[in-house]
Amino acid sequence: MSRFVDLVVSAVLLAGLYATMAYGLGLIYGVLRVVNLAHGGVIMMGAYLGWLCYERLGIDPYLAIPLVAIASFLFGVAMYRGLVRRLPRGPAGGPASLLLLFGVWLVLRNIAYLAFTGNDQAIRTAYSSRSLAMLGSHVSLTRLVVLVIGLVIAALLHLLLARTMLGRAIRAVAQNADSCTLVGIDVEQIYTLTFGIGTALAGVAGVLLATVFSFNPSSGSSELLKSFVVVVLGGLGSVYGTGLAALVVATAEVFAVLILPSYLTTAVGFLLLVLVLVLRPGGLFGRRALT
Amino acid sequence: MTAPPVIPRAAGRALIAVVVVLAALPALELSTYSHNLLTRTYLLVAGALAWNWMGGFVGQVSFGHAAMFGVGGFVAGRLALALALPAPVCWLVGALVAGAFALGAHPLLRLRGPYFSIATIGVGEFSRLVFTYWEKFTGGATGLSLPIDAVQKHQLYWWTLGVAAAVALASLVIRRSSFGLKLLAIKADADAAADVGISATLYQDLIFALSGAVVGLCGAMNASFYSFIEPADMFGFERSIGFVLMAVIGGVGTPLGPALGAAVFVVVQTFLLASYPELHLGLYGILLIAIILFEPLGLTGLGQRLARYARRHVRRTTGAKEPG
Repeated sequence: MSRFVDLVVSAVLLAGLYATMAYGLGLIYGVLRVVNLAHGGVIMMGAYLGWLCYERLGIDPYLAIPLVAIASFLFGVAMYRGLVRRLPRGPAGGPASLLLLFGVWLVLRNIAYLAFTGNDQAIRTAYSSRSLAMLGSHVSLTRLVVLVIGLVIAALLHLLLARTMLGRAIRAVAQNADSCTLVGIDVEQIYTLTFGIGTALAGVAGVLLATVFSFNPSSGSSELLKSFVVVVLGGLGSVYGTGLAALVVATAEVFAVLILPSYLTTAVGFLLLVLVLVLRPGGLFGRRALT
Repeated sequence: MTAPPVIPRAAGRALIAVVVVLAALPALELSTYSHNLLTRTYLLVAGALAWNWMGGFVGQVSFGHAAMFGVGGFVAGRLALALALPAPVCWLVGALVAGAFALGAHPLLRLRGPYFSIATIGVGEFSRLVFTYWEKFTGGATGLSLPIDAVQKHQLYWWTLGVAAAVALASLVIRRSSFGLKLLAIKADADAAADVGISATLYQDLIFALSGAVVGLCGAMNASFYSFIEPADMFGFERSIGFVLMAVIGGVGTPLGPALGAAVFVVVQTFLLASYPELHLGLYGILLIAIILFEPLGLTGLGQRLARYARRHVRRTTGAKEPG
């Protein structure tokens, strides 16, 4: 029984991280209809930025989040303005944007290899190994902090999309970009900001990831896959849906330990992806609107 | 009115001429180094052209073709070790199994665009994991050593050239056949294609199985060529990237562009990257970005643009002379 509780608790803790990873990918796809294949690369770079802040500047990784968010935001804006904007939109631009952003990912990986070598790194702070007793099981402090930060980010994102003028504009552009130009919304600017915000979320997810797992320059592909599963499962753009879907993915992955050999647990995300794409391409909760 | 030939005459003649010249090339006492380099190039030409059937003709970009490459290689390798069958039989069986393996991806073929592409990343990674840990079959991290003598390795030159030529011919035929037109229709709009009775699922299954079988054949011949294979390399993500890159360099969707792309890819890999191995991912990335931004049809597009420019130039100069 206590093992069961342990697994549930670790699934919930993991879900916060997965949801944070997925928001950026979902937001960009929901508004621009572009799958950001560089997403995994940005997560990896965010992890290294957090690590740099801690190792070189002595900034606590969780306090470094705003810095990484700003850096990733600027990178996302540059990526949109410099590259993505130049591609044709609609189905014709599909393969092109995939290949282009895949190229960005390869470049990011190479930069990370050159700058940080291929060795595994992790952010080890003084409190990394502390744990708290909760519900009869021990919960690692960093994982708990990651969950709390994940919840805060979800709340902020929800407020941004639901309550601000910018959020309304983003939702409007997601629904119908052509009508937005009629009411005076600068669609290009919204696209730029959305790409920036989405990339910033990926960078922040990277910092969170770095405080609980080790990473290296080729990290990112399983993060991209999991984010994608969560986005598809949760339906597009719904903050709640994404959170629930992250919980489903995390639970499946944690409980897979019971039935699958350990080397295959990383493949659970993939199995889920195939199942979901084939059985419920519209998402588990079926809503497609951005709320 | 007679139907146009399935293969445009000029392209057919050029293809035959190139193949004849290449087949006769070893008579010039090539060094073993260039002999092997050309053999490797032919293998990649065949693989890139086959990737293009899926990625270019249907527009479904696959980042997981290494899975079929690896399956073909290991099936052929195991067969050669266990039963000591002649190599071509092993290759053929490897290719067939790889084709069947591709058919196993049937549920994924309902997916379109980015969904399909991301799923193929998953298939590739999944296959790599499973086959790396399936030590009884693949030898795990230590890999498999295959028996092959120098004469066989020498003869591989003509085998691979033959396969590359056959795949090039098939590319031309598929492109101009009604099958190829159906694939184009699916690429343009799968729903509209379904409305006029073209089943996207059926034709995609067919072309994906064909593409997988050819890539599996390449994997099998690659295994014979190196006489040593390991899952980390055969199923590696870099292999999948390689197929994408060769097609993009040469021209995605053009029937023969990827062959050109494969040749360029080998040159870049052997002569530039041998000196800077730590830069190859980034260079691939920059190439992808630059080609997609500036010349989405790669070298083929560049060639067409130059030809157009030359024609206009000629017309302008002759036009200027006439009044005078």
